[in-house]
Amino acid sequence: MRGQHLPAAVLHPDVELAALVDAETSRAEKLRAAYGLNCKTTNDYRQLLTEVDAVVNALPNHLHFPVNLAAMQAGVHVLSEKPLAVNATEAKTCCDMAEQNGVTLAVGMSRRFQAGHQLMELLLAREELGKVREYDWESGSAWSWKASSGFYFSREQAGGGVFIDIGVHVLDCLFHWIGPVTRFEYQDDNWGSGIEANAILHTLHDAPHGEVRGRVRLSRTFTLKNRLLVTCEQGTASLDEDSPEEVAIHKRNGRQGLSMTLHPEAAPKGSAFYLQLDNFVQSVRGHATPLVSGRDALAVAEFVEGCYASAKRIPEPWSEIPQLETATGGSR
Amino acid sequence: MSPLDTPILVTGATGFIGGRVCERLVQAGAKQVKALVHTLQHAPRIGRLPIELRVGNLLDRQSLRAALHEVQIVIHCGLGPRRGIVTATRNMLEAAQNADIRRFIHISSAAVYGLRPPAGVETESAALRTTGNLYADSKLRAERVVARFASRGFPVISLRPAIVYGPYSSWSTRLIGQLRGGHGVLIDAGEGACNTTYVDNLVDAIILALDAPHVLGENFFITDGERITWGDFIRAHVDMMDPRPQLAQISSSQIEAHYRKQPGLITSSLKAVPKLLLSRGNLFQIPIVQQAHERVWETAGAMNKERRDQLRTLRRKLLGMPLLGGPLSSVWRSVAGIEQVTSVSASNGHAPATPVPDRDSWEEQTGAVFFSIEKARRILGYEPRIPFSEGIRRVEAWLRYAEYL
Repeated sequence: MRGQHLPAAVLHPDVELAALVDAETSRAEKLRAAYGLNCKTTNDYRQLLTEVDAVVNALPNHLHFPVNLAAMQAGVHVLSEKPLAVNATEAKTCCDMAEQNGVTLAVGMSRRFQAGHQLMELLLAREELGKVREYDWESGSAWSWKASSGFYFSREQAGGGVFIDIGVHVLDCLFHWIGPVTRFEYQDDNWGSGIEANAILHTLHDAPHGEVRGRVRLSRTFTLKNRLLVTCEQGTASLDEDSPEEVAIHKRNGRQGLSMTLHPEAAPKGSAFYLQLDNFVQSVRGHATPLVSGRDALAVAEFVEGCYASAKRIPEPWSEIPQLETATGGSR
Repeated sequence: MSPLDTPILVTGATGFIGGRVCERLVQAGAKQVKALVHTLQHAPRIGRLPIELRVGNLLDRQSLRAALHEVQIVIHCGLGPRRGIVTATRNMLEAAQNADIRRFIHISSAAVYGLRPPAGVETESAALRTTGNLYADSKLRAERVVARFASRGFPVISLRPAIVYGPYSSWSTRLIGQLRGGHGVLIDAGEGACNTTYVDNLVDAIILALDAPHVLGENFFITDGERITWGDFIRAHVDMMDPRPQLAQISSSQIEAHYRKQPGLITSSLKAVPKLLLSRGNLFQIPIVQQAHERVWETAGAMNKERRDQLRTLRRKLLGMPLLGGPLSSVWRSVAGIEQVTSVSASNGHAPATPVPDRDSWEEQTGAVFFSIEKARRILGYEPRIPFSEGIRRVEAWLRYAEYL
């Protein structure tokens, strides 16, 4: 909340911050003082639901569902952090509730608001490099997320590891740009009841213009290439995580190639989180629809669930070792 | 009852050795593995495993009491902050003693004989002596604390691995980085004794120590039992790379001559001041201030949060302190047309043609002693199962997977 959502809310001219909620009121109080805000602080969100128009829910993953639901039941609009819920059933309940109660439900897949992602979407939609044939997306580095609680290492509370955390961003974009995945093979390195730190997904999309094959690799332990490379009929387009505002393209033209870096002509001002909040505000007012809706997030949640259900272990041949035989012949 | 059926606490579990210990315990069927975790952000590797993460700090005795709840065996791979190694081990031993632990496996180090062990320390019976190296002396003093507990009947065993390598080891990842950056160098033709210990061989020894008889209070060297040199180790990494990097050569006498030319701390600090005044630098570019700062932060882990926050504030203030250097330097540079001095170091300014290893690497890579594992073989029943050639093959497979290669 502190790093992204709050600065966006403070900056937005149409947002009046009513309250900051944290399980530890003292933390909310510190934040309020740090930003010089004139708003309430509390550890009980329920008492506020009759007083506010909208909620930004940036709680740990397992609390997205109950708080989203309670808010929407009370007729309050919700911008929920991703994942919308830790499983598809809960995600669907959220979508149904939003529709029944006529409230806006937007989901925080903030990457879709980054200029580079929007450029990539435009390039692919307009077939500037011809039709898409394949893609390779790698995202990974040594993990450094400072969560106040250890929920990230509980399967019940986080819903999973790197795949539900970073994978949802990637899948959301891929579904949006290329369409649904028709076949896939998913592997991760969860050794049992743990949380995967690495995930590898091979996909096949039956797109209207033909098959698109893809590979997604995610990691919380290793620094990967951290870029999306899309191969099209006439060239490649790549989106580097270090330069999220641009897309590098290489267009083949006979024997010669042409490389260039594209920037948006008139990118809207503000961080991805600011633009996301603005889209939410406009949606609540009926002037727009959420760029990432509850249904978009539900499609991702269903796919993630299917991947986890069919997960195979990533082979780790360097880890295999015969059990140790003791002098008495017992294995250890 | 097999020790693997009892609750085991692994300290240092987010580290290279502790992480592999957790994996191997799970592979061996242990159902009650608890990992002591200081910083959850470092836990993704062990977060994959069906084990329990217990947040605690080796310098916080209260947290150790909680971490030992219902534990019967401790595998102590943890170090704590660089200047807190001895305290961390003492705290863990005390907490374990109070918790009636059945067995305590202390991961010591062959570095108790210094980074460059002198001739005559091939076996565990050789007398220990401090060498002035912080890490080596800390491991030595920690072993002495262990010995005091053992003499009072506490069931503890010390294992002394040497150069522990394997998947996730910084020996390999750092070396690959150095080689790729063109900084690969063999000291004295790479003939120094490397004493490799493949991580799974060490874990074999740890697992054997869980219930081996007649081992309490003993120390054991644990290595691969092969006469691997640093040249063998470094060249094995060179062979993994494409294109193959060049290896420079440097002799001990050249390194000695290089360091002899270096000014001492006081001299280099005095020399740094005028340079600093001509640059947009900060106080931390004065070597003596930088060293003091590093020492303070090495012990910061032992401080409470409030004290650490006070230190952070002080550091911010010092970093932001306006020095004469800012305004003066711009005027001076415009007058004299000189380049901005961005850092002040102890070097004489001439980049040597061959990368000069730091003092620790120099010492480490020029030893002549190959430690004997005869005692571990005889008493612990230890036999290294992964030879160097296989260990390197596994490291290479992992480095490719982790995209270091």
